[in-house]
Amino acid sequence: MLVRSPLLLGVLIAYPLLVAGLVGLVAGYGSSKPRVALVDEDHLPQAVSVGGHRFRIQDAIDEVGKNVHLVRMDPVEARHALATGRVVATLTVPPGFLADLKSGLHSPSLVYQVTRGGISSRVIQQVQALVYGLNRQLQTAYVQTDLKYVQLIVTGGRAEFGGRTYDVLGLARMQKLLQQLPPGPQRDRIAEFARIAGVALAQTGSLLGATANPIGLERAHEDSRSSLLSAQVQSYALALTITFLALLLAAGAIASERDENAIGRLRRGLISMGELVSAKVALAAVVALALGLAIALVFGVIVEAGGVAGGEPWQRLPLLAAGLLVAGAALGALGTLLGALARETRTASLVAVLVVMPIVFLGLVPREVVPVAGWLSDGLPFAHAVRYFSASLYDASPWGTVARELVWLVGLGLVFGALARLATRRLLA
Amino acid sequence: MSDTVLRARQVARRFGSQIALEPTGIDVRAGEALALIGPNGAGKSTLLALLAGALEPSSGTIERVDGVPVGWVPQAAAFYDRLTARENLELFGRLEGEPQYARVAEELLVRFEIPADRPAHTLSVGNRQRLNVALALLGSPRVLLLDEPTAALDPGQRRRLWETVTALRDEGGSVVFATQNLEELELYADRVAVLQRGLLTFVGPTAEYRELHAEEIFT
Repeated sequence: MLVRSPLLLGVLIAYPLLVAGLVGLVAGYGSSKPRVALVDEDHLPQAVSVGGHRFRIQDAIDEVGKNVHLVRMDPVEARHALATGRVVATLTVPPGFLADLKSGLHSPSLVYQVTRGGISSRVIQQVQALVYGLNRQLQTAYVQTDLKYVQLIVTGGRAEFGGRTYDVLGLARMQKLLQQLPPGPQRDRIAEFARIAGVALAQTGSLLGATANPIGLERAHEDSRSSLLSAQVQSYALALTITFLALLLAAGAIASERDENAIGRLRRGLISMGELVSAKVALAAVVALALGLAIALVFGVIVEAGGVAGGEPWQRLPLLAAGLLVAGAALGALGTLLGALARETRTASLVAVLVVMPIVFLGLVPREVVPVAGWLSDGLPFAHAVRYFSASLYDASPWGTVARELVWLVGLGLVFGALARLATRRLLA
Repeated sequence: MSDTVLRARQVARRFGSQIALEPTGIDVRAGEALALIGPNGAGKSTLLALLAGALEPSSGTIERVDGVPVGWVPQAAAFYDRLTARENLELFGRLEGEPQYARVAEELLVRFEIPADRPAHTLSVGNRQRLNVALALLGSPRVLLLDEPTAALDPGQRRRLWETVTALRDEGGSVVFATQNLEELELYADRVAVLQRGLLTFVGPTAEYRELHAEEIFT
């Protein structure tokens, strides 16, 4: 049979590859910590002292390891790991890095290499975040060191420079000494300068801090939802459920009309093929609405029972219901098209199951990672349903997104419905 | 007797590259029983489905004079297996525009002795065929198209079916039936149409058909 049908043979070969590729993309992106090889060609010591501040290298790695998983490798091993995909990037500390850093004469650079392909942009972001994190720690150390010198100028005291110890007078002690000198305009002028300089230098700490970090970012304490109840999880749960349901139901329902031979009897002017397609689409929409609302209610009850703040579990149900209905209809239209093309109920159900997975995976692959997946996903209802549900349940101002996705879903429903209407001719053959 | 109620004008039907029926013209007249005969694959079922409106012709037209209601008994049962016989009759009765669909369904169930409230897929072959015929009588058809209707029926059921069919004809209705049973042709047909390999090769009174050698048609 496979020899007689090259198309079927091709599909059987291509399908697992397609699904495997999509799963790989999704899984690869889904990893929260990309593995990055750390190549230390400068042989950094366990601890380094920069700007009078002592750093433990492992502490710095642990800190940046919150975003990426740093793995120490030698240059050859790192190149091989990058080539084979065991790491998504290499970060190299070149020879002389620490010496340049300590000298303060010019900024040393870390060198990175990233794998080609969709995930590279994300890895670059992570590497930039890594360097940002290191710079933040160094800035803090430099600022603290600078502040010590400033404090020394203000208050005076003992300090070491180039291995020698100095006794610094300081502005405060200078003012006391000036008071012991005979009064006169010159003494008063110097005393005034010392006072103003002391006041100005007292502001240096906050100024240096602001220079190092013009914009800070603080995380406010709030009652946030657990990841299980997050908007994304709820949206995907709803969209995934109704995608499976609506596609299978509509595909099976239209194909069963032919299996049961009822299509011929209906065709005799009892109902039009357009009405038949509409009936299947409406069935899928109503069932999607009922099941979607049931899922949303379960989530809402859990949110209420858990006393989780945030979100609009009940107020947004009408908006969600409208989306479930329209998304169910669009998916039902696609299912009806598949069922009409497949013609037999068993084949239609199989085709619907086979089609659901790529549709869902395409919707899961971020557009920034694989733009083609984004374009393809735009032509299918799943991703639009996810965005609609997410916006309708959680966006403070959901109307723009909701309206845009609604237009998409209606448009896709009409296109698939029209194609399904044409495909019903196959049911009569 | 000679008033045409249903007319096929050069209707033809292809399924892909396969020709099921060459351009064919035939009239169905009021008050007659027209038998369609021919070997398997000759195009009888296709012509009946085209006359019933269940298939669209690839070319040509089908005319229903004054929108005459047509009932159709396809060769394979055509109803919803998960519904009961009563539910099927009521559903198609509503679609046919029967105002008293529940009453009509009940009458047909009694008349054809069909178990009313069992899912259709649990019915015997004979009961399924009787339900198939009963469905064709919804909407008070004046033309009844039957595709080998007695193939799965026992002698008693066959007799009752032909009683129904001849009663319709006697009231001025029309009957077109495809059959492989030459005895039925002799007993019930006023005219005969012979199809061979998608071509209409003979249309005429049964008496005229007798003069042909029927055996030659089926060789």
